[in-house]
Amino acid sequence: MPLFDNYFLTRLEYLSIVSRKVFRGQLMAQRRTKQMGGGIEFADHRQYTPGDDFRYLDWNLYARHDELLLKRFQEEEDLHVYLLLDCSRSMSTGEPAKFDLARQVTAALAYIALADLDRISVYAFANGVLHHFPLTRGKARILSLMQFLESLSADGDATNMTQLAEEFVLRAPRRGLALVLSDLYDPAGYRNGLDVLRHHKYEPHVVQFHHAAEADPKMLGDVELQDVETGDSRKITVTENHLRNYRDVFQTFLSSVTDYCSAYGIGCTVTDTGVTFDKLVLGMMRASGTK
Amino acid sequence: MSFSNPAAFLWALLAVPIVIFYFLKIRMRRMPVSTVMFWEQVFDEKQPRSIWRKLRHLASLLLQLLFLTLLVAAVADPFFDSDIREQRRVVVVLDISASMQAPSENGSTRLTSAKSQIHQMIRALKLRDEMALIVAGGQPRVVCGLSNHKRTLQVRLDEIKPTDGPTRVVEAVEIGRRLLAGQKNEEVVVVSDGCFEGAAELAAENEIVWSQVGTPSANVGITRFQVRRSLLDPITYQVLMEVGNFSDEALECSLDMNLDGELLDVIPLKLGPGEIWTEVREETSVRGGVISAQVKWEDDLASDNTARAILPERQRIPVTLVTEGNWFLQRVLEANDIVDLTLTTEVPQTLPPSGVLVLHRSIPAQLPAGNVFVVQPIAATDFWDVAGAVAEPLVDKQDKSSDLMRHVQLDNILMPEALKLIPKVDHKTLVESISGDPLYLQISHDNGNVLVLSVNLDQGDLPLRTAFPIMLTNALSWFGEAKGELIEAMAAGHTRDLQVPSELQKVAAQRSDQLLLTAPDKSQQRIRVVDGRCMIGPLDQTGVWQLSEINSDQTPDADSPVVSAPVLQICCNLSDPTESDLRIRETINPRQELLTSGFGGRPVWFFLLIAALLLTIIEWLLFQRRWVA
Repeated sequence: MPLFDNYFLTRLEYLSIVSRKVFRGQLMAQRRTKQMGGGIEFADHRQYTPGDDFRYLDWNLYARHDELLLKRFQEEEDLHVYLLLDCSRSMSTGEPAKFDLARQVTAALAYIALADLDRISVYAFANGVLHHFPLTRGKARILSLMQFLESLSADGDATNMTQLAEEFVLRAPRRGLALVLSDLYDPAGYRNGLDVLRHHKYEPHVVQFHHAAEADPKMLGDVELQDVETGDSRKITVTENHLRNYRDVFQTFLSSVTDYCSAYGIGCTVTDTGVTFDKLVLGMMRASGTK
Repeated sequence: MSFSNPAAFLWALLAVPIVIFYFLKIRMRRMPVSTVMFWEQVFDEKQPRSIWRKLRHLASLLLQLLFLTLLVAAVADPFFDSDIREQRRVVVVLDISASMQAPSENGSTRLTSAKSQIHQMIRALKLRDEMALIVAGGQPRVVCGLSNHKRTLQVRLDEIKPTDGPTRVVEAVEIGRRLLAGQKNEEVVVVSDGCFEGAAELAAENEIVWSQVGTPSANVGITRFQVRRSLLDPITYQVLMEVGNFSDEALECSLDMNLDGELLDVIPLKLGPGEIWTEVREETSVRGGVISAQVKWEDDLASDNTARAILPERQRIPVTLVTEGNWFLQRVLEANDIVDLTLTTEVPQTLPPSGVLVLHRSIPAQLPAGNVFVVQPIAATDFWDVAGAVAEPLVDKQDKSSDLMRHVQLDNILMPEALKLIPKVDHKTLVESISGDPLYLQISHDNGNVLVLSVNLDQGDLPLRTAFPIMLTNALSWFGEAKGELIEAMAAGHTRDLQVPSELQKVAAQRSDQLLLTAPDKSQQRIRVVDGRCMIGPLDQTGVWQLSEINSDQTPDADSPVVSAPVLQICCNLSDPTESDLRIRETINPRQELLTSGFGGRPVWFFLLIAALLLTIIEWLLFQRRWVA
């Protein structure tokens, strides 16, 4: 079954229309960037440092408070949307595979952005950036993007969010919205990578994918667990008690993701693979609209 | 130690697949997961002990192999050689006679006490000991052959029901001895109240282990009860009653007599210690039914307090007398209470069903079909010719075996004249003169029965003698196929070879098991009929038994056959003074050998199975519990 069939395309167009009518300017489309620059709309002040352009000094404030502050203006330009798609092997698990849903969501979000004249770029990553779909704009590019997504496979090594973030900030010239579509199963932790994005003034948005067997495994008895990413195996004897503990640990992990994102104002969506891509995207837009 | 079933060790080959499955099991299932980091968090919290982790699979295998070993050993049925050497074979003879229904010392019946004792004996049987159960009722019967299966013995024992009949313990003991012939360590145990002839002698025998039940008690019982129709008077019946006082004290009681529930008489009785009261009473009644007698006295045995007997009902007989006039003949028939007499001078063309035509002198050339009694035939018919008269005939031969001549004695009767008859068909001469001429003959033909009395009634003193009405009564009874003269009440525990009633003859001819005998407790049994006769009994319940016809549409193996109204009723009474006498003459101390049990009273395989069960529990606690804990 093809990843992007006619039904997918139909739902994609529907999502584009809905996003323009209901969520205009709230998620991506026609949003102004936080890029400070030479726009006309005042943004905020900052301390003057030698070398700054005197034209932007706020002389009124200097007169009142005897303090040199530089006026900052929001630069009005189209939004750069970066879609960071996890291609590690862990994304290939589940039925349907997390990777398939992640690619559909990537295509949907990219289509919505392209339809609103934003620029999008896709970075496929595992322990670093594996493949790159360069910045582009215009709805016509969606087919190329789909071909790019279809050509991807979840066969990368272990997820390394820090390595991804460091490579990404070097390769992405402009700040913008950085959507991370991953299961976040990074042995070293996902937080460092998101911190790097955050510190480099990107606006991260996390979409965490997992499937039902990960949240509520059923196996009992003697099993040899094999990590599809690292290849590590572990022989264990699973009891009902262990399964209860596992469910607690996994829920704690998901809670930690939402708590972290909430603490730093990062958009966050946690989903299992049981939902369809359109419902997931609509849910994301609704969540953004209520903030 | 030996094994009863060594071939069972072939089951030990099951160890091979167990070992194979063991190796398959320890090759763990490989399950790919997205990440093991969550599982590591779970298992890092509680690390299993490494030694147990290494050995637990091996321990599981050893437990399973041990479990298999125990099961195989159990199936092989091991036993100790001493079990064979000390094996006992015991035959228990249980008295199930009527007296065993009397109360015992603990309030229950003697039979219940006896069963409790036997249950105790069964529980005390050692592993290889065998026991057989024989019930000594009216017909000794082996209810369970030699068996060491306690459960079977207990079930068979519980199925034994008391009877209202006598006991034949001596014969049952003989059967038991035949069962034990050639065996070692054999014993015959008799469990009885001793209320039968020869109990003391039997108990004194060294080979017999006597187990006494019951305590002496007083009883009054009916030991004989019969009813019969009078042979002289059609409506009179006689009742034979015998009541015994089986106690050591004088007492007063009454005996109520009923006919189908209608009180006939109350007879007060004064009975001395051990007295037997006997009386024959005469009553009159045309109708029949069940006559019952009931002793009104509270005692410990109910089955002999009531006795029943069938009083045959008298069927009225339409009699047509064709005569120019004979006063004696007319009066004799009119005096008979069961005769509906019609006087005429013309011979009717047809007779009513079961009717009798009496022809006096007026003889048609062809006798009508049916029952015809011809007196003094003056003309020839198809059956005889008349060749003059016989003067002063003296009776020479009289067929005393015939029912027609019952209680009839014609030797000394003056008969001046008789007709000389020459029979033309097969006949039976009932009375013959010295000259060889038949005076009274019986002819049976396809269309009926004919009796011919050639004596001239107008002369001589035959009409004045008692033989004359008796002859007529016999003749009427014979024409009516002598229904219901005497239906003898049976004694419980006895059998009777019974002539199947004519109503059932045709049914029985079609299918020999088409008759059903219904007991007083409504239990039923099929009766086989051979040559018009059937064997009834031994009847083990007092009361009224009923013989019925099974609906012919039903298959012979139908569980609840639909039957017609009862055709024949048979009364059954205890009628056994030895059973009614509940006084135990001698107390015999029972030997206690059987009351000691062996090692646990259980076979080795039982303990092996217990061990296997314990192993299963241990295995579950050590391994399986972990999956669900």
